[in-house]
Amino acid sequence: MSLALYYYLSITAVNILMSWALYVPYRMAHLHFITVANMAISGYTAGYLVMALNVPFSLALAIGFLLGGVIGYLVSLFIGDAPTFAVVIVGFTFIYITRTVIENMPSVGGTMGMFGLPNIGGSPSVHRFVILGILYGLVVLVGFLIHRFDHCSLGRAASAVFVDKDLAVSLGIDIRKLGILLQTFSCTLAGGCGVLYGFIYRSFHLDFFTFHLVGITMTIIFVGGYSTMWGTVLAAPLLYGIPLLFPPEIASWRIVIYGALLILVLVLKPEGFITRRSVYCVEGFLSRAQKKLNNS
Amino acid sequence: MKKAKFVVVAAMALVFLTTGFGFAQTQAQVKEWRVPFLNCLTGAIASIGEYLQWGAERAALEINQAGGIKGKPVKVIGVDTALDPQKGSVEMARIVEEGTLVAMGPVPEPVIMAAMPIAVENGMASVTATTSYEYAVKFFPWTVSWFPPTEQRLGELVAAWAGLHPDMKSVIQFVEPYGPWPGMAEAHVKGLTSVGVKVMPKVDVPSDAVTFGPLVVKALEQKPDGIVFVCNAEKIAKIIRELKSRGWTKMDRLLVFSSGDAPELYATGGADINGVEIYNYINPNLDTPRWNAFKEAYMKAHNGNQPPSLSTNYYDALYMIKRSIESTAVTGDPKKFKEERKMIAEYMANMKDFHGIMFNWDMKNGVPTNKPTFIFSIQEGKKKLVKEVKP
Amino acid sequence: MQVLIAQIINGLSLGSIYVLLVTGFNLLLLVAMIIHFSYPQVVVFSMYITWVVLQLTGNNVLLGVLAGVGSSILLNLISAPLFQKVMKNRGEVDINSTMVLSLAMGMIITDVLSHSFNRGLPIAFPDQISQSTPVLRIGLITILSGQVWSLGVGVVAVTGFFLLLYKTRAGRAFRAIAEDPSGARLVGIPLLKTGLESYALTGVLGGIIALLLATLLGSASPGLGEQVALKVLAVSIIAGLGHLAGGLVVGLLLGILEAVAQGYISGTWSNVIAFVVMLGVILMKPSGLFGTKL
Repeated sequence: MSLALYYYLSITAVNILMSWALYVPYRMAHLHFITVANMAISGYTAGYLVMALNVPFSLALAIGFLLGGVIGYLVSLFIGDAPTFAVVIVGFTFIYITRTVIENMPSVGGTMGMFGLPNIGGSPSVHRFVILGILYGLVVLVGFLIHRFDHCSLGRAASAVFVDKDLAVSLGIDIRKLGILLQTFSCTLAGGCGVLYGFIYRSFHLDFFTFHLVGITMTIIFVGGYSTMWGTVLAAPLLYGIPLLFPPEIASWRIVIYGALLILVLVLKPEGFITRRSVYCVEGFLSRAQKKLNNS
Repeated sequence: MKKAKFVVVAAMALVFLTTGFGFAQTQAQVKEWRVPFLNCLTGAIASIGEYLQWGAERAALEINQAGGIKGKPVKVIGVDTALDPQKGSVEMARIVEEGTLVAMGPVPEPVIMAAMPIAVENGMASVTATTSYEYAVKFFPWTVSWFPPTEQRLGELVAAWAGLHPDMKSVIQFVEPYGPWPGMAEAHVKGLTSVGVKVMPKVDVPSDAVTFGPLVVKALEQKPDGIVFVCNAEKIAKIIRELKSRGWTKMDRLLVFSSGDAPELYATGGADINGVEIYNYINPNLDTPRWNAFKEAYMKAHNGNQPPSLSTNYYDALYMIKRSIESTAVTGDPKKFKEERKMIAEYMANMKDFHGIMFNWDMKNGVPTNKPTFIFSIQEGKKKLVKEVKP
Repeated sequence: MQVLIAQIINGLSLGSIYVLLVTGFNLLLLVAMIIHFSYPQVVVFSMYITWVVLQLTGNNVLLGVLAGVGSSILLNLISAPLFQKVMKNRGEVDINSTMVLSLAMGMIITDVLSHSFNRGLPIAFPDQISQSTPVLRIGLITILSGQVWSLGVGVVAVTGFFLLLYKTRAGRAFRAIAEDPSGARLVGIPLLKTGLESYALTGVLGGIIALLLATLLGSASPGLGEQVALKVLAVSIIAGLGHLAGGLVVGLLLGILEAVAQGYISGTWSNVIAFVVMLGVILMKPSGLFGTKL
C-alpha cells in the first residue's frame, strides 16, 4: 500500500470515528465538543505511558479509552441534561483548560510536544498495518454499535429528545440518564481516537487538538447528514480527500469552500446529504433485491 | 617514437574515456530538478509562508538564469500544508513516494512533527530552515538545523545586548508558550545572569490575549530596567504600545527576539517601536550585489516593504541543495533514489564554507558552527545595525 | 493597592470589549432569535472595511466610520435570510443550526480576511482613531481615552437598547416579530419593514462596536474575532441569553477577573481560572445567573 494512501485511510478513519463521537450525543441535540479535549488528554497520557514507563501500546490504548470514558462520565453527571449551548461552552472550555495544562507540563513535552513515539511491532510497516487494522476494526465495531443504537429504543428515545425535549420527558424518557450514556460513549471513543491519532504521526503536539478539529468534525456531520451514521461515512473521506486533489490556487480557499458548503447544506438540505429517508430507500431496495435473489 | 606516440594516444584515450564515463555517471538524468517545499501557503500564517516561498522561488530563478543544476533547471513546487498536520502528513507521504530526491520544509512545528517522521523513515532529507535546533535535531540526519543549539547561541547574544547597556541591572521577559519559545527565554536567562543582570520572574503571555494592560502592569510593578520579548510579533507591538502609554521611555532597553522580527511587528507597531532593539541572523544593511538584487526584487514585489529576516532562509536552502547535488554523484536516476537521497543528506550535514546570501558558514553534523547574529535598532520600520555578535 | 486598582481599571477596559460584543450578540438574539456565534468576526470585518476606507481616503475618519457601519448593516442583511431559512426549516428557535451556520460564517470571514486584506497581516489604525493618550496617570494607574469611550459607550448602549426594546413601541415590535412572526402579523406589525429595521439597528451597533474596538485596541488581525468569540458566548450564557443588563454585569466582572488573575498569577493559568469559573457557573446554573430572556 502506498504511504500516501495509508495516511489518507488512517486519518479518514480517525475523522469518521471522531465524527461519530460527535454524532452520538447530537442525536439528542448535544454538540459535545469536549471530545477534542478527550483526544488530547488520552493521547498525551498514552504517549507518556509508552515513552516514559514502557507500558505496552495495547495497554496504553486501553487506558486511553478508559480515561476518556471516566472523564466523559464525570462531566456528564453535570451536563447530561443541560441545554445545548451549555454543553457547547463546556466543551470549548475543556479544550482551553486541557491545552493550558498540557503546555505547562514539561514531562509530556510542554509547548514543544512529544517526539519519537515508537513503532508498534518494531518496524514501520508492521506499525502501519497494526494502526490501520485497529482503526478500521474500530470503525466496524463502533459502526455496528451505533447502527444497533439507532435501531433500538434508546435511539428512538434520543430522536424524541431531539425533536421535543418536553414531549420526551412526558413519554417517560429519562433525559439525564440518556445524556450520561451517550456522552460517556462519545468521550470513550474520543479517548481511544486521541491515542491512535498520535501514533499515526508518532508524535503529539498541542496544535493537533484545536478548534480546527471541531470545525472538521462539525462539517462532516452536518454536510454528510446528522440524522444517520452513514452521512459521516460518506462525508469524511470526501471532505478530506477532495481538497488534496485541488490545484494550489483553489486549495488555498479550502476553508472558505468548507464554510460555504456548510451554509449551503444547512439552508438547502438541513439534514445533510444522507438523510433517514435516503437510508430507508436504500435499505428497502436492498431488501427487495435480496428477496428477488432468494426467490430465483 | 611510434611506440611513445601510441602510449600517449592510449593514455589520452584512457583519460578521455574515464572522464567521459565518470561524467556520464554524474550527468543529470532528469529533465528538471523538482524540489517540493511543504509550506503554509494558507491559514493563519499564510503571510509568512508567502515570503518563504518567494525566497525559494527567487533562488530558483537565479539558479536557472545561471544555467541550472548540472545543466538542468530547478523548480520549487509549493505544497500547501495549510498549518494542518493531517494535510502535511499526506503531502509528505505523497512526495516521498513520487520519488523526490530532497524537499524543503515543512513549516511550522506541528506540521514538522507530523510529517518529518515520514521523511526520516524513508531516508529522504527535507530542509527545515525555519525551526529551532531542538526540533531539527530530532530528525537528524534527514534534516539540517539552521541554527546552533538555542542555549549556546542566545546566551551569548543577550549577554552582548546587556553589555551595550551597562546600567541595566534587571530585566523581565514577556514569554508566550509556543513551541521552542519558552526554551529560548530560558537561554536568555542564562545569558543575562552570566553577566550579572538580575532576571525577574517572567510574565506569561496567553496565546489568546487581546489586551495587555494587566500583563504590562504586572511587569512594571517589578521595576525592570530592561525588557525582552519572546512572543508573537503582533503581541510584541501591542505590549510596547501599552508600555509607552504607561510612561516607558527607554526604548533601547526593549529587546525583541528573532521570531518577533516579522512584518506583523512593523505593521502593528508603526512609529511606536522606534528605538526598540531586535536581534536576528540577517543584516539587511549589507551591501553586496547579490543581497542588493534580492532586496530590490523583494521590495518591488511587496509594495516597497523590506525583506523580513526569514525570507532568505529557503533561498539559502535551495542553494544548499544545489551545491549538494553538484558536489556529489547525484543524477536523479530513479533507480538510485535511496543512495542519492543519502548522499545529499550526508553532504549537507557537513558542508564547508557554504556561501549564503548574507555570509558564509560551515555545517558540522547538521549544525551550523559559525553563523553570526546581529543586534539592530528599529528606526522608521528599518533596522540599523548596533552590534554584530560572532560565535 | 495601586497595582490592584490598576488591574481593576484594566479589567474594566477588557470587560468593556466583552460588554460591547455581548450587547450586539444579545440584540441579535432579541430582535431576530439568532445565536450568532461569530458576531465578533462580523465586527472585525467591519473594522477591516473601516481601515480600507481610511487607507483609500487619506484617513478620512467620517467616511471610515460610515463604511464600517455600512458594511456591518450589509452583512446583517445578507445573512438574515440564511438564518431565517434555517430556523424556518426547524419551525422554532434552533440553537444548533443557527450556531453551526454562524460558525460557518465565521470560518469564511476569518479566511477571507487572512487572504485578501493587507496580505493577511494585522492592520493598525491611525492615531486619529486609536486613542492611546492617557487622560490620567498616577504611578501604575493609567486611564486611556479609548478605555473611557468604550466603557462609556458600552454602558450607554446597554441602557439605550434596554429602553428601546422594553419601553418603546418599536422595540416591542422588534421583539414580537422575533418571538412570534405570525402573531406579530396578526396584530398588524409590518414584518418586512420591521425586520429590516431590526437588522439595520444591529448593523449600526456592529459598526459602532467596530469603531470603539479600533479606538481601544488600535489594531486588528484576522484571528481577533475567534479569540474573543468563545468568551462572548460564555458571558451571554452565564448572564442569561438575551439579558442585556446581565451581559453588562457579567462582561465587566469577567474582564476584572481575567485582569486580576493575569496580574497575580502566571498568565497562562489565569485563562484557566477564568474558564473554570465560567464552567462552574454554567454547570450549576445552565440558564444563567440572571435568567434567560428568550
